[in-house]
Amino acid sequence: MSLAKIPQATELRHRAEIEAGSLPPLLVQAEQLAGSVLLGEHGRRRAGMGDDFWQYRPAQPGDSRSLIDHRRSARGDQQFIREREWQIAQTVHVWVDQGGSMRFASKPELPQKIDRARKLALAASILMIRGGERVGLTGTSLPPRSGNMQVLRMAEALSIEDNADYAPPEHHAMIPHARGLFISDFLGPFDELQLALSKAADRGLRGVLLQVLDPSEEGFPFSGRTLFESVSGGLRHETLKASALRDRYLDRLAERRDALDSLCRATGWRLGQHHTGDSAQTALLWLYHALESTR
Amino acid sequence: MTTLAGIGFTTPWLLLGLLALPILWLLLRAVPPAPVRRVFPAVTLLMGLSDDESLSDRTPWWLLLLRMLAVAAAIIGLAGPVLNPTPTATAGNGPLLVVLDASWAGADDWKNTREQIVTKLAEAGRADRTVAVLRLTAPEALQFQSADVWRKRVAGLVPQPWQPSPDQIATAMTHIAAVDTGFDTLWFSDGLDYPDRDQLTATLMQRGGVQAYQTTTNRLGLLPAQFADGAIELTAIRSQALAEQQVTVRAQGRDPGGTLRVLATATAEFAADGNTASAKLILPSELRARITRFELQQVRSAGAVALTDDSLRRREVALITSQTDNEGLILLSPMHYLRQALQPTAELFEGGLGDLLPANPDVIILADVARLAPTEEDALTEWVEKGGMLLRFAGPRLAASDISRDEEHPLMPVRLRSGGRSLGGAMSWGEPKTLATFQQNTPFYGLTIPQEVTVSSQVVAQPDPSLADRVIAELGDGTPLVTRKPLGQGQVVLFHVTANAEWTSLPLSGLFVEMLERLAVSTAAKPPSAEELEGTVWTPISVLDGFGRLTEAGTLSGVDGPDLMEAPAGPGLRPGLYDSGTRKLARNVLRAGDQLRPALWPSDIPVISAALAPERALGGLLLSLALVLLALDVAASLAVSGLLHMSRTAALVLGLTTTGGLCLPVQPAQAQQGADLLGLSSELALAHVLTGDDQIDAIAHDGLRGLSNTLLFRTSIEPSVPVGVDLERDELAFYPLLYWPITPDQPRPSAEAYARLNAYLRTGGMIVFDTRDANLVGSGASSANARKLQQLARSLDIPPLEPLPADHVLTRSFYLLQDFPGRHQRGELWVEAAPVDAEHIEGMPFRNLNDGVTPVVIGGNDWGAAWAVDNNGRPLLPVGRGFAGERQRELAYRFGVNLVMHVLTGNYKSDQVHVPALLDRLGQ
Repeated sequence: MSLAKIPQATELRHRAEIEAGSLPPLLVQAEQLAGSVLLGEHGRRRAGMGDDFWQYRPAQPGDSRSLIDHRRSARGDQQFIREREWQIAQTVHVWVDQGGSMRFASKPELPQKIDRARKLALAASILMIRGGERVGLTGTSLPPRSGNMQVLRMAEALSIEDNADYAPPEHHAMIPHARGLFISDFLGPFDELQLALSKAADRGLRGVLLQVLDPSEEGFPFSGRTLFESVSGGLRHETLKASALRDRYLDRLAERRDALDSLCRATGWRLGQHHTGDSAQTALLWLYHALESTR
Repeated sequence: MTTLAGIGFTTPWLLLGLLALPILWLLLRAVPPAPVRRVFPAVTLLMGLSDDESLSDRTPWWLLLLRMLAVAAAIIGLAGPVLNPTPTATAGNGPLLVVLDASWAGADDWKNTREQIVTKLAEAGRADRTVAVLRLTAPEALQFQSADVWRKRVAGLVPQPWQPSPDQIATAMTHIAAVDTGFDTLWFSDGLDYPDRDQLTATLMQRGGVQAYQTTTNRLGLLPAQFADGAIELTAIRSQALAEQQVTVRAQGRDPGGTLRVLATATAEFAADGNTASAKLILPSELRARITRFELQQVRSAGAVALTDDSLRRREVALITSQTDNEGLILLSPMHYLRQALQPTAELFEGGLGDLLPANPDVIILADVARLAPTEEDALTEWVEKGGMLLRFAGPRLAASDISRDEEHPLMPVRLRSGGRSLGGAMSWGEPKTLATFQQNTPFYGLTIPQEVTVSSQVVAQPDPSLADRVIAELGDGTPLVTRKPLGQGQVVLFHVTANAEWTSLPLSGLFVEMLERLAVSTAAKPPSAEELEGTVWTPISVLDGFGRLTEAGTLSGVDGPDLMEAPAGPGLRPGLYDSGTRKLARNVLRAGDQLRPALWPSDIPVISAALAPERALGGLLLSLALVLLALDVAASLAVSGLLHMSRTAALVLGLTTTGGLCLPVQPAQAQQGADLLGLSSELALAHVLTGDDQIDAIAHDGLRGLSNTLLFRTSIEPSVPVGVDLERDELAFYPLLYWPITPDQPRPSAEAYARLNAYLRTGGMIVFDTRDANLVGSGASSANARKLQQLARSLDIPPLEPLPADHVLTRSFYLLQDFPGRHQRGELWVEAAPVDAEHIEGMPFRNLNDGVTPVVIGGNDWGAAWAVDNNGRPLLPVGRGFAGERQRELAYRFGVNLVMHVLTGNYKSDQVHVPALLDRLGQ
C-alpha cells in the first residue's frame, strides 16, 4: 500500500457509504447454510453467536455472571443462562475489472466506467457487510471477512489499477457455494470469462454479472475518418467512414450480450447492465434485488 | 509603380506567383483529410470490420477553389495594389524649381504640404536633380542646389500672413529671368488666386514642365468683426461655393482671472451657392470688451483670425451737468449735443457725480459745471489720478465762477481769465473766429476743419509758462480752444467753449464727433477711413504670423495711418495690432469686402489635388480577404471530414480571424444592473456596508436577515433579502437604513463615496454605526474601532449628537424600550441632539422633539451579532446566558424593530396625538 493510495481509498469508501446509506441492510439468503459453513456443520441446530433465542440452560460454574438471564432465573431458585442460535454468515466474492478499458469516459462530465464499477461494488459490499455477510475479493488478495474494517480493506484493494487493456476475471480461491458479484464492461476476450464462470459454477457459486458501459459504446456516435484505439493504444482500427460501421458495431455488441446472457443462463448467474450516464442508485437497487433473489 | 487597369502595383513581379496556382491545385487535391484519433475501449468489437464504401480521398472542387482564391488574394495583396495611384513627380532630370505660395491660406494644412515638399525633394534627390525653392510671399534669388540642402531648410519655410502681391510676383519673375537654363516646376499652391498669377504661370511654362500640387480648393477666411445695432457681426468667406457648410467662430479673450479662454461661439452657415456666411453675436458690453480676437474653429491660419481693437469696446461715459432743472428747449441743453455725438459709440450714464463715480466710467464729462463739493472734488481727483479722463466744457457758469482764477485748480488744465470773451457779437468788432489747423503733435492732427465752424464766445486761458504745452487746439488767432493736462495717470481736458451751439457751431459739425473720437472719449463704430487717419503714425504692438498666432512686434517700424487701412498686407505692413498712443487699431489679413477666389489652372498643367481621389492601398484589404477565406477553409475542411460538430476550437479560430481580419467593432459588454435596481426600488431592503472583513460582513448580513424576519413576523414591514452595499459603487437611494459595523482596518471611502453618503444623509437616510466594542464609544478614542469611527465620520455631514434622551422617539416607535442591548448590554446610544429650544411641558411625558429622523445612530452594542440567524432561523451567536440572554436578544430585536420603524415613520410616535394612548400604556 502506497501512501498516495490512502486518500483515494478513503474517498472511494466515502462515496460508497453515501450510496449505501439509503438502502436497508441487505441480507443475502443462505440457501445452503450448512454447505457454506467452513466447518461443514449445520450451525442452526446449536447454540452460539447470534441474535435469535435458542434455549435456556442452567448456569454452570465458569459462566460469566453477566450471562445470567434474571427474568428466567427469578421464577425459581436456579439460575439460567439464555443461549442464542449460532448464525452463520453468507460469503460473497466480488470482482471488479480494473483493466485499462474501464478507465474511459467519452465526455468530461461523465464518470469513468471504472469509477462507477468500484462505487457500485463497494456500495453493495457495504450493504452486505451491514447485513452480516462476509465479503472479499476473488483470488487470494483479500479473503472474505466481515466487519467494518473489511470495507476499508475492500476500498483499498479496489483502488489498485491494472495496466493491461482487458483484465481477465480472477477465478482462483473461490469458496464453494458462496455468492459472486462480477462487474466489468465484458469487452475483453470472451473465453476467459467463460472459463471463470464455468469454474464458479463447478464450485456451486452463483451470482450476478453487471456490465458497465459508456453511452458512446452503446450509441457509437462517430463519423468521418477515424482511428479507434484502446486505452493503452495496444489495439487499433482505422476506418474512413465511421458512421458506416455503426450498424455492424451495434450488431456485434448485441451478439456479445446474447453470449453473456446464454452463459449466465447456463451457469445460473444473472446479467445486468448499467451505463455510466445513468444514476448509480438504480444500478445498486438492481444489484440489491438480484443478490437477494439468487437463492 | 506599374499600373494595370487603373490599379497600381508597388511590387508587380510578385504577381508571377499566380502562375504557381495550377501546381498548387494539383498538389492540394491529392491530400485526403487526416484521421481523427479516438480512444474507444470497444475497439475489440470493431476488429475485422472493413469499410464497405471508401470515402472520397480527394478534396472537393469548391474547397480547392476556396483555397486557390485565398492564395491568389494573398499574392495580389502582397504585390501592393494601390487604387488611384498618383502620377509620379514631373519626369525629367533637369533642374527643378519648387514654387510655394506660402501664404496664410496654406497655413491650415502646412504640415501636409511640408511633408509633400520633403517627399518631392527626396525624389528629386534620388533622380540627382538640382532644386531651387521660390517662395512667392518672400521671393529671393533662385539658388539651384542639391535637394539635400533644401531638405534641411524646409523646416524654415513658413507661410506668411499675406498673399503674394504684384510687386512680389514681379520680383519673382525677375529672379526667374536671371536663370538661363530650362527647368521643371513643381508649384505648391494654396488654392487661392491673386493678381498676376497668370503671368507667372505663363513664364514658368515657357521654361519647362509645370505641375501643381494643391491640397484643397476651398479656403475659409474671416472678415473683421463689425459692431452694429448692439450686435457683433461676423462674416466668414470661402473661395468655392461647393455645398452647404457650417463654420464656428470663436470669440477669445481673457476672463477676469486673466486666463485666455473662449468667451463665446457663433455658428455661421454657408448656403450651398453662397460664398459668405454671417453670424451675429450679442454679448454684454463687459464681456464684449474682453474679446481680443475672433477665429474660425476649424481653420488654423492668419486669414481665419480677426483681431479686435477698440472698436468693440464701448466706452462708458458719465455725463454730468450743473444741477438745474430748467425746462428750456432741448436744443439749448449741452447734454443734447453730447448725447447725439456719443450715443452710437459709447455707453452713456447720466446723473449725479456721487452716483456715477462708483460705477468707475472711462470718461466723465462735466458740461459747464463750475464748483463741486469738496468731497466730490477729492473723489474725482482720485479717480482721474487712477487713469480717468475728465472732459470739461465751458459755459456761462464756468465763466462766471472764480474757479482756477488765481491759482490753477487741480481739475482744470489752465488758469482762466475772468469773464471770457465774445467775438463777432453786436457789441464787438471782430468776426467770429475759425479754428486753426491742428498742430502735428496734438491728437487732432490730420482732421479736416470745416469752414463753417466758428467760435463766438469762449473762456480765455491765463498766459502761463506751461500753457503752450497744454494747448491741443487753438483758434485762428492763437487763443487756446482745447487744453489738456495730465493728472496722475489720467488727464483733464477743457473745451473752452460750450457743448451746445450757444458759443460755437463746433457741436453742430462732424468735427466735434471726430475730436471726441480722437480724444478717445468715444470709439469709432467702423474702422476709420484712410482720410481720417491722415497724418497719424501707428506702431505695431503685436503681429500675426501665417498660422494666426500673435507675436511681439519687436522693432518693426511704424506705419502711416492711411496705409494701415488701404495698403494690402505685406512685409512692410504686417497684420496685427497697432497703436497710436491713445487708440489701438487692428489690421487684419482680410478687410471688409474682401473675397477669396479659387486658383484656376490652365488645362495643360496637371494638378495633384488631395481632395479629388486619395490614393488607397488595397493590400491590407486583400490580405484580410485571404485570412477570411482561409478561416472559411478551416471550417469547410472540418465539415468535409465530418468533424464540425465537435470542433469548438474551429469556431473560435473562425471567429477570431474574422473579427481580426475585418476589424469589426466589438461592443464592450456592459454590466446590466437595471433589472436589479428595479427590484430594489420596488421592495424595501435593509442594507449593511461592506467592510471588507468577510466574517463581519457575513454576520451583518445574517443579522439584517434576522431583523428582516422579525419585522416580517411582527410588523407590517416586509423587507426583502438584505443587501451588502459597496460604498464606492452602489447607489444608496434604495435603502432606508444602512448598518455600518466598524472594523479597525476598513478602507476610508473615496471623496465621491462621501459625497453620495452625505446626499444620502441629507435626503432622509439613516446610518447606524456599530463599533461593536460595548461601551467605549462615548469615551474618546479609547478603542481602535472608536478611533476608526472618528476617522470615517470626519467627512460626513453629521449634526450635533447627544446620548439618547429618555424621551426620544426611538424609545417608543414600536416597542416601549428603556435600553438598547445587542450582544453587549450597556453601550450608550448617540443620536442627533434635540433642538435647544425643546422644553419639557408640564403634564407631558416627553418633549416635543425634532422633526424628522436622526441621520445617524452611533452605538457599540454589536446588534448585528445579536440579530444574526442562520438559514433555518436559529440564532447564530450566543447572547448572554440562559434565559436572561434570550431576553437580551429579544430586546435587541425590539430595538431593531424600533429603529426601522423610526426610519420609516419618522416622528409619528412623537406626535402628541398619541399621547393619551401612550400614557395609558405607560400606566400613568
